[in-house]
Amino acid sequence: MQQGFLTPGAETDHTLVVVFLRGGADGLNMVVPVEDDEYYRQRGRIGIGQGDTARLDDLFGFNPALASLLPAYHDGDLVVIHQAGSEDRTRSHFEAQDFMEHGGHVMGGWLARYLRTAYRQAGPLSAIALAKTQPEVLRGAPASVVMESFDTFDFGASAPGFFDALSSLYGAERNDLGEAGRDMLNAMRKLETLREADYRPEHDVRYPTDDFAHGLRQTAQLIRAEVGVRAVSLDLNGWDSHFAEGPLITPLMRRLADGLDAFQRDLGPEMAHVTVVVMSEFGRRVYENASLGTDHGRGGVMFVLGGGVRGGRVIHDWPGLSPEHLEGPGDLPVVFNYRNVLASILRRHGGVDDLKPVFPGPALSPVDLYGEDGTREASLEGGGRAA
Amino acid sequence: MKPSRRSFLLWAGGFSALALSGCPPVNLAGVLPPSRPGEALGAPPTGEKIDPVSHALNRLTFGPTPGAHARVSRMGVEAFLEEQLSPETIDDTWCQYQVRRLETLHLPAGELFEYKADFLQKELSQGKLIRAVYSRRQLQEVMADFWGDHFNIDMSKGDCPWLKVADDRDIIRRHALGSFPAMLRASALSPAMLWYLDGRSNRKNNAEAVPNENYARELLELHTLGVDGGYSQRDVMEVARCLTGWYVRSEEMMNKGRVEFRAEWHDDGPKQVLGHAIPAGQGRKDLDRVLDIVALHPMTARHLAMKLCRYFISDTPPEQAIGTVTGAFLNHGGAIRPTLRALFHTDAFRQSAGQRFKRPFRYLASALRATAAETRGEGGLPDYLQRMGHAPYQYPTPDGYPVEETPWLGTLLWRWHFAVALARNTVPGVHVDWAALHAGLGGETGLMTHFLGRQPNGDERTAIAASGLVPAALLASPAFQRY
Repeated sequence: MQQGFLTPGAETDHTLVVVFLRGGADGLNMVVPVEDDEYYRQRGRIGIGQGDTARLDDLFGFNPALASLLPAYHDGDLVVIHQAGSEDRTRSHFEAQDFMEHGGHVMGGWLARYLRTAYRQAGPLSAIALAKTQPEVLRGAPASVVMESFDTFDFGASAPGFFDALSSLYGAERNDLGEAGRDMLNAMRKLETLREADYRPEHDVRYPTDDFAHGLRQTAQLIRAEVGVRAVSLDLNGWDSHFAEGPLITPLMRRLADGLDAFQRDLGPEMAHVTVVVMSEFGRRVYENASLGTDHGRGGVMFVLGGGVRGGRVIHDWPGLSPEHLEGPGDLPVVFNYRNVLASILRRHGGVDDLKPVFPGPALSPVDLYGEDGTREASLEGGGRAA
Repeated sequence: MKPSRRSFLLWAGGFSALALSGCPPVNLAGVLPPSRPGEALGAPPTGEKIDPVSHALNRLTFGPTPGAHARVSRMGVEAFLEEQLSPETIDDTWCQYQVRRLETLHLPAGELFEYKADFLQKELSQGKLIRAVYSRRQLQEVMADFWGDHFNIDMSKGDCPWLKVADDRDIIRRHALGSFPAMLRASALSPAMLWYLDGRSNRKNNAEAVPNENYARELLELHTLGVDGGYSQRDVMEVARCLTGWYVRSEEMMNKGRVEFRAEWHDDGPKQVLGHAIPAGQGRKDLDRVLDIVALHPMTARHLAMKLCRYFISDTPPEQAIGTVTGAFLNHGGAIRPTLRALFHTDAFRQSAGQRFKRPFRYLASALRATAAETRGEGGLPDYLQRMGHAPYQYPTPDGYPVEETPWLGTLLWRWHFAVALARNTVPGVHVDWAALHAGLGGETGLMTHFLGRQPNGDERTAIAASGLVPAALLASPAFQRY
């Protein structure tokens, strides 16, 4: 489908899954700097004990609630980027989310611009938001389908004659409109055969039952159905942990990790053609507050899973958390701009060499996610250290 | 109304109980829309190809209503063109009565700040739909659509949610068939535009201050000369300098949204724009000087002619038509009516019947007009526009929604969805009297020629008749996606 409209170089079958952790996820309690004493000094009550974490390298350990991501990490399919975030310093959820979804001080979403740049003509199902409303990241997309579940697309059964009529009407059109109509009908025929209840994940994987895992399960089903899905947007909400952080975000971390674990085991080798990127609008303040929580901060974590990343490492340039290394009221500074993480992915899989149309604004310096020569050096020059 | 799961379910369930829990059909309380099914409609078109009457109705309006073909056939295409070019002579009381219910559309800019942004957006979009469907001043509406994209403003930026309401009324609609130079000046000083393209923060308030070029660039690139219009980066910077000091009040409760010129923020040195010297010390008059230079510039004429020809003729209009329209614009000092009159008389226009692809807004409006639907432009309609990526006043970048076919080809799914829902009367807040329409048009054959603007060919007739859902198949057909 749509091959005639691909920009040369774009992979015809890659799917980018963008997971947004809304509310400002606490990177420091997710990927814990267990060898940094300052962390324990400033988080005397809510810090994650060194012995409780699962070690990732000589500095960091996973929060135990993220344990199900360990196999992916150790198999080299998952890379963690610490001190990640944007240059937005408002510490406002609304501003920072918009900024991150827009890809800078521009209007419309970066994912929408990416689709317009990489795929000259969008297929009917090229962009899917598993949500109630269209997320900002897809604003301005040539076409996007916003849905909570595709089970509600009960096409043929309700009006079989109608679709036969469309097949013959669009079949007779020898032009772009006819082709678009035929593509749409093909996609719908494929969707029609998809019933969530009928889906059998591979390798006996059992997805959890929460909404996030449900979204990932549908994503996997759509990818397997080969209906031309190029971008999926998924949210996992509720990370705004000002109060009683542990009980609040522990279940969210489990949901995130268990869902992604099921997704990547289900897709198996297919993950070479799928990239999942996890991001949040900002991280949290280093020191804990009086309510056993943390306030809005700056640097957080990003995860990139699949698509051939050189995983099993935490990309960071750790300054230590003592106050002189912090920014503003006591926040971890951002070293890895989220655009430089995304740029690395888009360049690898989108066939987009010139990313200016996707990310207008400051020049990009892609973070080396793939262990490629050149870009790795570039990221080192940019101050990053690949641990 | 946010897109909801319900509108998906309607597809599956036919006319389900869920539909009934949505907005009820509108009670029009004895006031009839301009054309109603069941009245004596006259014959629908009968030709094998789209005839000049149907063509004029397609392009000068948001689509033929039942009976329109007979009416325009009686009066003649020429008279219809002239009628539409003089909207002030057309009685539009019924539509105005419908729009009057949307109170925010009539308030002075200052009072709009009392309302929530979402509500203003809803009423403004509702007003656009109601007018597109019911106004008799159709060319006026079509041109408001054209200029709304040309001077695009996204309602999500800064104070734009409040200020765009006034911009749409006082700039876009007021000047839609008036004079381009007057509209350009009004737009340059529109509070919404000053917000949207950062004119309000373009100031020289100290020696180091660098002008904000945003509006200056779009003024030249999009509003006037066009990207190949022969201006340089230096011209952009000089225009930005000329426009320093124009400001919109935003913080104060009093006079919020008022535009004023702050001389102390104006760069009053000498400037040079497109080869014209602008002497120092002219203050606010710099703005008029810049607009004088660009409003009737030959490249502006060509750029606008190109855009008008794309909008009214085809994605790739022939050079001859562009030349004719450019000439008319210049010969009439940028007056929009004679410019359009010239366009409508080009061979290219006459020969382009059925070649344009409907954008989603036009698709919905034309379906509602063709079916003489009852609607207040709310309920399920904003959902459909959102899903098809064509919600009014929400295009993020200043170039406005695209006019070409390609970017919209991915929207067929929701068009078909809408076709079925309209045929089954399950679009919340919309009602079609299908039985009356069927009877008024003389049965299935009349229904087909009415929707297609011509007789269906053999294959079309067979496929549509066998669909089991003739109105939906017509509305979803390739032919109905074009105009």
